[in-house]
Amino acid sequence: MIEVKNISKSFGGHQVLKNVSVEFHPGKVNFIIGRSGSGKSVLTKCIVGLMEVDQGEIFFDNRNFTVLDRWDRKDIRQEMGMLFQGSALFSSLNVEENILFPLQMFSSMSKSEMLDRVNVCLKRVNLEGKNKLYPSELSGGMQKRTGIARAIAMNPRYLFCDEPNSGLDPQTAIVIDNLIREITYEFKSTTVVISHDMNSVLETGDHINFIYQGELSWRGNKHEILHSENEALNNFVFPSKFMQQIREKLRG
Amino acid sequence: MQNTAAAYLSLLRMSSVYFHIGKYFLLMVSTFSKPEKRKIYWKLIIQEVDKIGLQSLGIVALLSLFMGAVVTLQTAANIDSGWIPRWTIGYTTRQTMILEFSSTIVCLILSGKVGGNIASEIGTMRITEQIDAMEIMGINSASYLILPKIVAALFIFPFMVILSMFIGISAGAFVGYTAGVISLNDFEYGLQYDFEMWQVSYSVIKVFFFAFIITSVSAFHGFYTSGGPREVGASSTRAVVYSMVLILVTNYILTQLLLL
Repeated sequence: MIEVKNISKSFGGHQVLKNVSVEFHPGKVNFIIGRSGSGKSVLTKCIVGLMEVDQGEIFFDNRNFTVLDRWDRKDIRQEMGMLFQGSALFSSLNVEENILFPLQMFSSMSKSEMLDRVNVCLKRVNLEGKNKLYPSELSGGMQKRTGIARAIAMNPRYLFCDEPNSGLDPQTAIVIDNLIREITYEFKSTTVVISHDMNSVLETGDHINFIYQGELSWRGNKHEILHSENEALNNFVFPSKFMQQIREKLRG
Repeated sequence: MQNTAAAYLSLLRMSSVYFHIGKYFLLMVSTFSKPEKRKIYWKLIIQEVDKIGLQSLGIVALLSLFMGAVVTLQTAANIDSGWIPRWTIGYTTRQTMILEFSSTIVCLILSGKVGGNIASEIGTMRITEQIDAMEIMGINSASYLILPKIVAALFIFPFMVILSMFIGISAGAFVGYTAGVISLNDFEYGLQYDFEMWQVSYSVIKVFFFAFIITSVSAFHGFYTSGGPREVGASSTRAVVYSMVLILVTNYILTQLLLL
């Protein structure tokens, strides 16, 4: 479990996160949703340690991440996997080398064991036989899937996905959503997904956290969204008249 | 009021300079901390030797060839007096190549080629979140990306500079002889006249400093790039300019320290 307790973060005089407390549950797909600029990416960057918080604490299975220095954080970081919005694949390495990268750096496997692991990961994301292709030769969806394969190479306890569906067509987006959900249940990982895509949220979200103007404005599950009276949430999830009509019908 | 504002601005500028110097040294501390897996670093160093050094050999050789030739011809053209012996041409070519051209000028040019390349490579990795991806994995990205480049440059630059000296002086001898401005014997005499091995050592010592400046300063600018492709370009330009200025200042200080 990841527990975020009362974290705040400012840039200059602008406070982006205001005393946010949130929990992410293991074996579940935990969503962070919110409008652009609401602070959800900053929240995720603070959780994974790419940004330092001004105040508050972050616990990874009762280990206080915020008090650890860079070197001591290493152990926890090796338990993390992250899928970036732009995939962040190493452009000078091919698919196989990208997935091998964390294994070479941290595992004590032999080369053949590492290659077996790469192939298992590639099979898991339906990219068998694409080992020697470079990121520039892959489609957007394939890049995302390679990113997922790299993220799961070390069997992460914590999986972070930053806008996994951005730039993808709806069908490919569903493939990526399903993959994230299956991997979460299979590896029992604590998965945190940042998304704008309400289709993904309602399809795969086990726990949903809505960030509004730097604060945790609402939390619940996909069924509770329909019945929420939170105005900011309703404006975000059902922005158009058409969506509002759908909500009314679903509410019965 | 205006004076106070000016004083405040100048203080702000100074504190910004100190901030960046501090940031640079912190990056270097991170860079030189214990590597994750030495075996992988050796492989990276060999790759960088090829990228930074061997792929720059062509430009270094070309420059040295023509500079050696031009220095010889210009010296010959400027010696009007019969009192000045012809072997002075060989002597001047040697001194120019060994003391300044092969070390300082070649490194200034390499700061453009190698420095710009390092800053844009690391800067692109930064804006495409590849560095963040490394950090999330628990890899010391500064050490992984920068250390091999510094080690490779420290290793290969001295060889390139010695090669530059050899090519420049050889080109001078060849051009001087074929243009009929000096005999090979005179040139050889000039080359050997008052030769001190220390001058080559001085040049190589300078190159160690320059190699470190080019790689570390360029990496620093690339590593802290934020924004998009335009900012990568700006980082690359800054890397080259700062490296050049630092090379010139360091050259002055080392010359004062080592030669006088």
